[in-house]
Amino acid sequence: MRNRGAAILGHPATGGLCRLLIGGIFLYTALPKVLRPDDFARLVSGYRLLYPDLVALAGVTMPWIELITGAFLVIGLIPRSSALVAAVLLAAFMAAGALALLRGLHISCGCFFPLMGDHTLGWDLLLRDAVLLILTLQILAWPSSFLPCLRKSAPSSP
Amino acid sequence: MRPRHHAPANSGHSDALVVIAGALAIVIGASALGLAVNHLSPRRLPLFPVPAAGQARSSAAAPGPRSLGGGGSPTAAAPAAIPLPKGLEAISIGEARAAYDKQLALFLDARPADQYAEARIPGAVSLPADAFDDHFPDAADKIEASPFLVIYCEGGDCSDAIHVGERLFEYGFLGIRIMVDGFDPWATAGNPVSKGSQP
Repeated sequence: MRNRGAAILGHPATGGLCRLLIGGIFLYTALPKVLRPDDFARLVSGYRLLYPDLVALAGVTMPWIELITGAFLVIGLIPRSSALVAAVLLAAFMAAGALALLRGLHISCGCFFPLMGDHTLGWDLLLRDAVLLILTLQILAWPSSFLPCLRKSAPSSP
Repeated sequence: MRPRHHAPANSGHSDALVVIAGALAIVIGASALGLAVNHLSPRRLPLFPVPAAGQARSSAAAPGPRSLGGGGSPTAAAPAAIPLPKGLEAISIGEARAAYDKQLALFLDARPADQYAEARIPGAVSLPADAFDDHFPDAADKIEASPFLVIYCEGGDCSDAIHVGERLFEYGFLGIRIMVDGFDPWATAGNPVSKGSQP
């Protein structure tokens, strides 16, 4: 039974689903930020965690890190490294969000479209990030790829 | 069933190093790409705030002309359209209303203080263009805490909102929208208005 569970967890289809889900969400959330770095920088400044001089730098670079990570996860290019970046980003988002909530800040989370239809930061969004963070562990443990040349090189178990 | 090979003791170490090196390559490569795109973009985001004492920015870098005229649609072409300076973007009354309803933006009233006292958008903060330096210290905390700023003046050909927006952009604030149609069309369209001592 335990072996069966491990077999399902380590099955390439499970890995593919995890990569598609996390990569797809990263791509979806990164695109508006890439197109509107000023809006994203403004949202970052709302968290009041970074020095003002670093806010614009974060606004310019972070969306691209999300975008490239998302794209790599979807196609399965260096999946473990991409999953590691995704895990660090998700952990950082959760820490920043939790600090903001504990300080009583009512701010836009900066997760989705910049102005219209954005989500107010709440514990539910941190829970979503936690679920995604757990899914990145699957990719780290059982990397898989849609690219035929990379399939054979991926180990079958950690 | 494929026989499992026992890897050398340091192979796990080298695997981890390869994964970390790959992650660093993604971060550095993506950051460099972002900086390069920002550098080449007409909507370039200044990486360091301009000193407050700096000169007003040229309006030539605005992405395109936007009408400030006469209560019509902000997308309508006007012969004397004033292009918005860099860092400012036009927002229609409909978009401003959506931001108001979702409480995503702080509204800044750039009209003279007596007009603000008479009627204003509920929750708006007074930051008159003609007394910016007097009012800014009181408004600074709210401005810093808000993800977006929507600035307005009377409407028509008023430019107070643009002057206030330029000053805020020079101070390093981002996400600045100008409600180009102004307060008067906002009020006549039946949107929320506070009068007198109402909050």
